[in-house]
Amino acid sequence: MSDVKLNSNVPEGKLQEKWDNHKFKSKLINPANKRKFNVIIVGTGLAGASAAATLAELGYNVDSFCIQDSPRRAHSIAAQGGVNAAKNYPNDGDSVWRLFYDTVKGGDYRSREANVYRLAQVANSIIDQCAAQGVPFAREYGGTLSNRSFGGAQVSRTFYARGQTGQQLLLGAYSAMMKEVHKGKVKVHTRQEMVDMVMVDGRARGIITRNIVTGEFEKHSADAVLLCTGGYGNVYFLSTNAMTSNGSAAWKAYKKGACFANPCFTQIHPTCIPVHGDNQSKLTLMSESLRNDGRVWVPKKEGDKRKPSEIPDEERDYYLERKYPSFGNLVPRDVASRNAKEAVDDGRGVGATGVAVYLDFRDAIKRDGEQAIRDRYDNLFQMYERITDEDPYQVPMRIYPAVHYTMGGLWVDYNLMTTTKGCFALGEANFSDHGANRLGASALMQGLADGYFVIPYTLGNYFSNEGLMTDKVGTDHPEFEKALSSSKERFNKLLNINGSKSVDSFHRELGNIMWEHVGMSRNESGLNQAIDKIKALRSEFWKDVKVTGTEDGINVELEKANRVADFLELGELMARDALKRKESCGGHFREESQTDENEAKRNDQDFCHVAAWEFTDVSSEPVRHVEELNYENVELTQRSYK
Amino acid sequence: MSNEKLLSLNLKIWRQKGNKEKGEMVDYRLEGVSTDSSFLEMLDLLNEQLVEKGDDPVAFDHDCREGICGMCSLMINGQAHGPEKETTTCQLHMRKFEDGDTIVIEPWRAKAFPVLKDLMVDRGALDDIMAAGGYVNVNTGNAPDANEILIGKESADLAMDAAACIGCAACVASCKNASAMLFTSAKISQLALLPQGQVEREQRVINMVEKMDELGFGNCTNEAECEASCPKGIDISNIARMNREYIKAITKTRS
Amino acid sequence: MVTRLWLYLNSSIVKKQIMGFTGLFWCIFLTGHLAGNSLLFIGPEAFNTYAYKLTSNKALFYTAEFVLLFFFISHLAMAMKLTIENKIARPDGYYMKQATGRGSTFASSTMPYTGLIILVFVITHLLHFRFGPVYMITHSGVEMRDVYRVLVEYFQSPLAVGWYIFCIAAVGVHTSHGLWSAFQSLGFSHPRYTPAVSCISKIYGAIIFLGFSALAIFCYLQGGN
Repeated sequence: MSDVKLNSNVPEGKLQEKWDNHKFKSKLINPANKRKFNVIIVGTGLAGASAAATLAELGYNVDSFCIQDSPRRAHSIAAQGGVNAAKNYPNDGDSVWRLFYDTVKGGDYRSREANVYRLAQVANSIIDQCAAQGVPFAREYGGTLSNRSFGGAQVSRTFYARGQTGQQLLLGAYSAMMKEVHKGKVKVHTRQEMVDMVMVDGRARGIITRNIVTGEFEKHSADAVLLCTGGYGNVYFLSTNAMTSNGSAAWKAYKKGACFANPCFTQIHPTCIPVHGDNQSKLTLMSESLRNDGRVWVPKKEGDKRKPSEIPDEERDYYLERKYPSFGNLVPRDVASRNAKEAVDDGRGVGATGVAVYLDFRDAIKRDGEQAIRDRYDNLFQMYERITDEDPYQVPMRIYPAVHYTMGGLWVDYNLMTTTKGCFALGEANFSDHGANRLGASALMQGLADGYFVIPYTLGNYFSNEGLMTDKVGTDHPEFEKALSSSKERFNKLLNINGSKSVDSFHRELGNIMWEHVGMSRNESGLNQAIDKIKALRSEFWKDVKVTGTEDGINVELEKANRVADFLELGELMARDALKRKESCGGHFREESQTDENEAKRNDQDFCHVAAWEFTDVSSEPVRHVEELNYENVELTQRSYK
Repeated sequence: MSNEKLLSLNLKIWRQKGNKEKGEMVDYRLEGVSTDSSFLEMLDLLNEQLVEKGDDPVAFDHDCREGICGMCSLMINGQAHGPEKETTTCQLHMRKFEDGDTIVIEPWRAKAFPVLKDLMVDRGALDDIMAAGGYVNVNTGNAPDANEILIGKESADLAMDAAACIGCAACVASCKNASAMLFTSAKISQLALLPQGQVEREQRVINMVEKMDELGFGNCTNEAECEASCPKGIDISNIARMNREYIKAITKTRS
Repeated sequence: MVTRLWLYLNSSIVKKQIMGFTGLFWCIFLTGHLAGNSLLFIGPEAFNTYAYKLTSNKALFYTAEFVLLFFFISHLAMAMKLTIENKIARPDGYYMKQATGRGSTFASSTMPYTGLIILVFVITHLLHFRFGPVYMITHSGVEMRDVYRVLVEYFQSPLAVGWYIFCIAAVGVHTSHGLWSAFQSLGFSHPRYTPAVSCISKIYGAIIFLGFSALAIFCYLQGGN
């Protein structure tokens, strides 16, 4: 089975010319013929909606699927801070090269140079496109676009729409898609969940979905399947992901031969509202942009239970400013998160639970006035107050890291195609551009880059190389029936276990294992334990889970059970990947690999590569393939934000 | 946060098996609800108990639980998204309720929003309105440099105010006429305020209003309950703008 | 083209604008009506002469009456159509529905009811006065209808005064929301002026109520003379 070759298909030539050369060399499909191709796009977030809109504009027939009641609900909507581009409007020395460099460095040198450079190249077009769609970006009084700075960069290159940039960009992509719905080029299937991918003659040719409203299974065929299904952060149970965000679609593709790359690379976001209790269902992120004006601190003394206002400045430890004088509070996310954990582990955490640090706006309010702060962050401050019942204009916010984004995902080549022919992965669902750590405001950039500007070129090339114009497969093909009945079987099985424990209780337990052992800091024995515990939990799940209701109609428990069953496998793969990567890099911190100052220590000698896992069988170990990362343009250095 | 208390609540919840079935209000008693939990976490707790008993859990829409995706809904004690101003149901916290309270929970009601199950309704009609014209017809790749379109800060801010709509349909639910004017006008306003929206300005308002009417929403009677219930504080001046845009559009002579 | 026009006329927006436009027209009429009737305070001659001049050009008078009636009926018919449509838009009501307290007001939520009261009132009003008893009187050598007497006689009954004030209160409440509402429907909205319009609307309703009520009470008090 193991004949997978990880051919990145990065084009020849100088870095700056690769994408242009590739576009020129890609085969085209004549406009009249484009309508003969059908494309399935799963997910309607930034990547999915932008791809659906653009491919439909070109003339392809698009079937778009989303789990929610409307494509506009996809979780891209929750991104707050902004979107990066190297427009250099503020005249502060930005360039495509610098954006590329910052992204590679921010990703701790574990991403593919050519992909990142392309991302930096098309980023400017994203801003143009979104502005043309009527996305209400923040403006200066003169009418030009406004920028702000973000973690991991020393220039202001982040475009934003108040604290709702993700929402506005998503609504832009959504409305572009709805324009094609109106023209009949996109058909949106809402409240549908992909439950399997269908392979015919070694190519992805369709999907099986379950209609969440009726419980019926449906077959959909196409010439290519695009998975734009986001990340798998919900494996941790508590994360900043939406409740229905899941890893199942990617997992089905993995089981059909698509390799899963760097699953252990998860991003723990430093500025989230801390956990408050057992009944909590999710964590809420406060935009990283807050770190522009907020100062992070903890008391110098351990177990200092005084109110924050009673702690004088000299007894406060502004640890980020102290340790990283040049970046200060704007260090990359992984660094900020790990330092918060360190402070809490030292017993210097704050709040009732002691598992939080302060993010204080006192000085910014003093400097710029409350109104200025209100203009910048009021919606975030209100959200914080609603959840915690504390007014951040008066008392410092309490924040703590939480799982937020997964850099890992389906392995894709330069064309965004997975190791399974015809199955593409876009946005957070793929692994490509962020390496071991994603910089703030880069997720929106990547999702839209993939959807608006990359896939339209590479998909046509695939169609024409494969000669898919005449080679058509319908849902009457036996493979569809086979996939459909195996999906039905799986759901029936879940319903018939009739055990004693709820789906959520398994999910919560999995989350605890993951957070404990595959969280912000990892070590060999913990990871080994995690693998064993997850295996045990998984077998208990299949014996003792209780799923109420029936297969017809809306059955939320059944939906959840299906997703948790996949998480129980994915969690194990994450632990395996973390175990094998015996170095610290970006969001992956191995306690065995740190500098004398407790900073993450990379091992470029042995691990400057992508680990892509190939599925064999649930009970046997997956195969680890390696794609070496060659840095021709960037010198690998130990990241330093001092 | 440290002032956590536990509440005992009486819940009256609309239960309806499916679109075709008849529904009814069902009473539940729920103990030990933390005042720090959100309204939806309170329902999670109820559902966990229902599942334990082998009962069918209450179906309700929700997703991001950060107040931005617009998926959560619920008529809580006769108010859309509950009593808190500019707050979605997922951001409503139980500290706003008292021990022993009775809470009535119903789905959004409108002819255009058929109930799917329990508290879940189909809001696809709003997507249909959007498809009728809630966009700028610009294909990918055609855009000029973003700074070539200058937009005054005031217009940009007003457009952003309107664009903040999350499409939750609280406006429809709270309107005594089940009118979708606030939703529709927010999009029309956003694009009418921006230079990018000018080319299709007239056709957009005509098409979107036509679609809105066709879908069976009621008529606006200027009561402003929509504005009062809107979790994003969308202003009814947007409806006035839409009224103005519409009359301008249908009276404009075309050359 | 005709179907387009029909579609526009049937759109939720134009329907509201017809309501607003006809309502606004009636508000203007009411203002004139109140101003003219205030001549009652001066005396029979001033008032009767005013009424005489108003009605002496028959062509103009009937046209005016027709226009008023037409606008009234349009307003009424449209209101009924809208109310029915709005009921259809929510076939299953709520088990519990509460106003937010931040939006609707007493006036806005009772528009159909105050409207119904006004309908009954307008009919009785016309029967009592427009088609009421005809007394003749001569002022400055011109023979004219003594409308002053009709009014004073009618308002001798405290019941009539009570009913009148009740109805006029309905008019006041109706217009206090209606005037602002007409501006909103017609698309007039401006951050600087809209709050003023809303305020003026309330003041207008109050003036209508106080003004006409004062007239009725004045007539009642004239009975002793």
